[in-house]
Formats: sequence, structure tokens, C-alpha cells
Amino acid sequence: MIWIETIVNGVLYGGLYGLLGVGLALIVGVMRVVNLSHGEFIVLSAFIGVSLARVFPGIHPLFLLLPVALIAFALGFLLQSVLVNRVVTRPDPFAAILLTFGVAVVMRNLMVEVYGADPRTLPAGRLAHASVGVGGLSIGVLPILILALSVALFTALQLILRHTRFGRIVRATADNRDVVRLMGVNPGRVYNVVMGLSLALASVAGMLLAMRTAFTPYSGVERLLIAFEVVVLGGLGTFWGAMVGGIVLGIAELVGLRFDPNAGPLYAHLLFLAGVLLRPNGLFGART
Amino acid sequence: MTLLEVRALDAFYGDFQALFGLSVRVEAGETVALIGANGAGKSTFLKCLVGLIESKRGEIRFGGESIETRPAEWISRLGLSLVPEGRLLFPSLTVEENLLMGALNRRPGSWRLDTVYELFPILAERRRQAPNALSGGQQHMVAIGRALMSNPKLLLCDEISLGLAPVVVDQIYQSFTRVRGEGVSIVLVEQDVKRASAAADRVYCLLKGRITLEGAARGIGLDRLSRAYFGA
Repeated sequence: MIWIETIVNGVLYGGLYGLLGVGLALIVGVMRVVNLSHGEFIVLSAFIGVSLARVFPGIHPLFLLLPVALIAFALGFLLQSVLVNRVVTRPDPFAAILLTFGVAVVMRNLMVEVYGADPRTLPAGRLAHASVGVGGLSIGVLPILILALSVALFTALQLILRHTRFGRIVRATADNRDVVRLMGVNPGRVYNVVMGLSLALASVAGMLLAMRTAFTPYSGVERLLIAFEVVVLGGLGTFWGAMVGGIVLGIAELVGLRFDPNAGPLYAHLLFLAGVLLRPNGLFGART
Repeated sequence: MTLLEVRALDAFYGDFQALFGLSVRVEAGETVALIGANGAGKSTFLKCLVGLIESKRGEIRFGGESIETRPAEWISRLGLSLVPEGRLLFPSLTVEENLLMGALNRRPGSWRLDTVYELFPILAERRRQAPNALSGGQQHMVAIGRALMSNPKLLLCDEISLGLAPVVVDQIYQSFTRVRGEGVSIVLVEQDVKRASAAADRVYCLLKGRITLEGAARGIGLDRLSRAYFGA
């Protein structure tokens, strides 16, 4: 029974990991760029959530998800339009990687300056400890809510990309950013919105993770690592691949914790390594 | 009425000069063929027109407006539509979605999904398929349909016969009769001297980035064209 509970919790935790990675998968899929400041934006969102929670003390952090996501969208739009668009069309992919690395370093130091280096959490109140019994298993309500929200966001993203005019433009821009210009599309503007969406999704993941675990301004690297593993394990640029990749990593981590309470993430990283060796294109294959 | 007027156009790829003082004119309702061997500068010329090459000098006027410094996304709104070499369809979109991309900059006119499907009925059957599942000829039809969906004044076709069976090329060239009937001017960039000159009102021959011959297609003569084509 303990193993079933571990796997169920791994799935619930993994949904959140998938959400950490899906924004990165979106950027990789559309722009072929790895945003190394993704982790810092996840952490910054959590800090913005902490600040908002202080300003509005009676409001549960779940209700702060939308305003934080809107702020993250605006920040992503700005990041792309002011900085990343300057280098994204260069043939050298390292230009964008180095730029976002620089942004990550600056953001990390700014967060230390503003918020200090002490660990923080977003208190989820009674919800953090509430659980329901299902078939003899005790499952946390908050993890269930988090998984449901992750699935809802993945589905919404998929529907937008598959069935809307905007989604069609995004997919076409990902296919060929020169040819869409012949149809009147400015790829830079598409990228602005896509980066905004990416960081809005990351912000939701950052807030939810902050309700479960403590974070500091230095947690960005760890978040980026998870997001990157999720994206690579699922298949570069595939969204449901990111979700499945997240769940696989989540299960591996919790199973690992059962073997050794100090080494849960190690098992997830080992699984990632094995996944890369056995299926270099990820579980759902790579976009071409 | 002159629809497109290009004067003394030079184009560059870094330090390499690809076009040398090209002057080309297209009248409204006219079909103009631009012929030349590989590397003559034909595709570069079309890319200059639609704004995909920024490193250029000279004058390009379309519908009376100066467009040589404008970006591609702005130029497309004026009614200048390119069928690119190699089709360059969007592989992650279906056939119908590819066609709808062409309608983003839609000007008033008769080209819609149903009229494109009327022109190429096979595309209606394949509307939900990915373009990669289509034959080369059908992919060309999608590329032409996508360009028509914006209701262009001028359709630029880059090497549409390349790699296709003659019977498919015939079918595509026949569709141009209907396109011209809707008042669309056409620029055909081709290596096939005979076919292009037969379809065009006027012909320009390019060699190493320079125009070596121009004139009315009917009176120019295949021999003269062939000599200009090879630089003999």
C-alpha cells in the first residue's frame, strides 16, 4: 500500500513538475531557444506572491495565482521585446542562451538584495494539511488541486494552440519565421506573447511549488534543472511530453525518497540520465 | 497602368553582390517571366520585392508606393504575394490551416477557401492532412492557394515547375488562366525557357545578376532567349 501511495503522490507532484517545464517547452518549441532565466522567473513569481500575500493578508495564495500570472506575463513580454528579440534571429544559438544566463544572474542578485537570502514559503493554511481517503489511501487535497490545475492549464494551452487563430500563427511562426512575415505576421510580436505565456505558466508553477516547499533567491537553478529535465525527458518542444516527463520525474523522486530520505532528487536525475541515453529524443520524440 | 516598377536594384549577401542595377516593370494584368540559370539572381530579385532581403539599394515602387525600405510584413498588405521556391509550407499546420495563413492579410477580392478549392479540387479532399502527406504537385497547389488567399494584385511564383512531372506542371500553368482572369498580375521565375516564355506577355532574362535580354514574349524568339540564358 505504501508503494501505491508513493506512486500516487509522485503523479500528483509530477503534475507540478510538468507545469514547471511546459513554459520552457513552449519557448524551445516556438523559438528554439533555452531560456536560462526560467528558474529565476519561477522564484520571482513566488516572491511576488509572498509580497501580495503580505499586502492582502486574508486572501488565500490560490486566489493570487491570476494576478501573479498577469504580472509574469507582462514581465515575459518585456523581457522578450526589450532583450531576447535582439538576439533570437541570430544564427548562433548561444547568443540567446548567454543573454538569458546574464538575466538570470542579475535577477538572482536583485532578489537577494530585495528579499534577503532566508528561506520563504507561501502558507496554504488548512489546505496544506487537508487530505481525503481514497481506497484506503490518504491523499492531500492541495496536491490533487495542483494536479487538476496543471491538467487544466495544459489542456487550455493545447486548445489555444490547436484551435485558435493565434495558435495557428504561433505554430506557423515556429515552423518558419521568415515565411510568416510574407503573411503580415511580425515574428517578434508573436515571440513577445509566447514568452509572456511561458512565464505566466511558470509563475503558476512557482506559486504552487512555494505552497509545498521553501524557496530562496538561489532556488532558481534547481527549478530550471527540473524544468529542463522535464522538457528533455518529454521530448523537446512537446507539451504533453512535458507533462508525462514531469510525472515520471515526480514518481522517481518520491520512490527515491523511500529508499533514501536524503537522495530523492538523485533518483530523478539518474532517471533523466537513463532517459537521455535510451531515448535521446525524449518520450514523445523531438519536433523537426 | 504600371503595377510594379524596379529601378537600378542592387542586392547583397554580406560582401557578395548578387544583383547589379536591375530594372524591371510589370503592368497591371500582365504576366512577366524572369528566366535564368541557377544562381542568376532570380530568387534574390523576388526576395528583394517582398522585403526578405534588407541589404539592397535602388528603387522599388508597387502600386505607386515606394517599398524598398519596408519590412516584409508591411509589404504583404499591399497585395504582393510570393509562392516561394520549395513551397515552404508550414508542416505543423493542415492544408486548410496553411491556406488560412494566407488570409491573415486578406484584401477585398474573390479568393476564399471555396474558390481555391474550386481551382484545386484535390485540396478540398486533403484539407485535414499535413502538407508533408501530399505529393510535390499538390504541395505547390497549396502554396499557390495560400498566396491567392490574400487576394494579391501581383503573384510572384518562384520556380514552380522545379522537380515536378510535366503533366503536373501543365495543370498548374492551366490554373494561371483562371488567376489572370481574376485580374491578378503574375511574375513567373523559371529555368524552363520554353514554358515560361509561352505563358508570359513579356520576358526578362537574367545572367549573373544582370538583365541580358528583355522584350515581348511572342517576338523574342527561343534562340535569342537561349543565347541570353547561357550568355553566349
